[in-house]
Amino acid sequence: MGEQQLSGEDVADRVRREVDRALKRNIKGLEFLTAARAEVGAMAKDLVHREGTAMLWRYRPVVDEIYRVPLLIVSPPSNKGYIFDLAPGQSMVEYLLERGYDVFNLDWAPPRQDEAHLGLSDYVDRFIPDSMARIAEITGERDVTLAGYCMGGTLATIHAALHAGNGVKNLILFATPIDFSTMKLFQKWADKRHFDVDMVVDRLGVIPPELMLGAFDLSRPANRTAGRLHLWTNMWNDEFVKSYRMFDRWAAETLPVPGEYFREQIKKLMWDNALVHNRLEVGGRVADLGAITVPILNIIALHDHIVSEEAAHPAMTLTGSTDCEEIITKGGHVSLVAGPSALRRLWPLIDGWLGKRSV
Amino acid sequence: MTDKPFDPVAAWADMVQKWEHEINSWSTKLTDNEQFGAVLGQATKVQLVAQRAFGEHMETLLRNLNLPSKPQIDQIGERLGAIEDSIDRLRLAIEALAGKAAPKADATPEPRRTRKPA
Repeated sequence: MGEQQLSGEDVADRVRREVDRALKRNIKGLEFLTAARAEVGAMAKDLVHREGTAMLWRYRPVVDEIYRVPLLIVSPPSNKGYIFDLAPGQSMVEYLLERGYDVFNLDWAPPRQDEAHLGLSDYVDRFIPDSMARIAEITGERDVTLAGYCMGGTLATIHAALHAGNGVKNLILFATPIDFSTMKLFQKWADKRHFDVDMVVDRLGVIPPELMLGAFDLSRPANRTAGRLHLWTNMWNDEFVKSYRMFDRWAAETLPVPGEYFREQIKKLMWDNALVHNRLEVGGRVADLGAITVPILNIIALHDHIVSEEAAHPAMTLTGSTDCEEIITKGGHVSLVAGPSALRRLWPLIDGWLGKRSV
Repeated sequence: MTDKPFDPVAAWADMVQKWEHEINSWSTKLTDNEQFGAVLGQATKVQLVAQRAFGEHMETLLRNLNLPSKPQIDQIGERLGAIEDSIDRLRLAIEALAGKAAPKADATPEPRRTRKPA
């Protein structure tokens, strides 16, 4: 016992609904297979700076009165920045623009072989500060809220540690690894005793995305298949399919990274965990987390299988900031920066925190 | 006892979710040892060596057929990418100069930066 008795009419209704969905699944399934690439991007933007692999975009403000302090979001070097602006109603950028923020995104073009030499120093001592300088030129403001997602957050943190007092007014970190020793699967994948990073970098120059995607797939090998099965089940639902296609496109468009950056990431961050031990040397200087004294908002996803709470939490304890707030929210790695649940739950909290620190 | 009638689609979705969870947990256990790292490290090396050997072989074959190889196509792609980058930079520089000389009449005015939280 356990199932409710259904009337003949209820049964007929349900059969009708399921047959309808099954038909839609088949028709839409065909459409899905023959469809062009999913369109992404909700908001108008302009390229305002270009340097090496770095591309600085400014999203066009949509309200007449905005906050004084502009917001610069640093994308992770291995992913495209449109994850922040997937589609109307699912766009963090759209949400922030409507609430009066002046939003910039530091995004990355796939590095060419002649850019294989770009290292951590290029990112934190050149691309980020040059972007901030360009933002100052455009807005007339020297202060900026620096935000970063995943490794973009790590780069923002390293920059803030190296250039304390140089224009970063607030720091917002989304799923940002600080303590790399707790990233168990990546530690296994890049085990110092067996992973010859020098050979990989010297042979390949630019590191193709497949090399990194392999590690992600190992951490969750069933996700891809299960995702396809969920897609088939929900093929009748246009919103689900649209969302799936956008996320699928984003995941498939993982970017290659410069070999030197990859080498430093493995040796200095994964193997030596140098950021946590305050011995990360970049461009001849040591990145001291204690030097970061600006307000920090640290955002962590509870079910993040890539950057766990232990990996991200040290931003709260090792920096010198006395104005730190942490938000641990339900969901996975990507759901912090995209998707309708973040729109309802998380982004209003960010607005509440950032608004009063952006005047 | 539950009030919910049996829903085969929900049951299927639930089953997929459980399967996904079990496979992922199994993978986590499987990869949680040093041997796994050793195998993976070795596999990466073998893959790179095989890739290189295959690439060299293909290059010879394609050269004999008077066809371009993948690295040559990549090189052309990179040169095109570099040209596009340069055009972007030039466009930005020209726009900056033009903006300084004479601000565009139809340019959207900058919003006021005076907003305060509600």
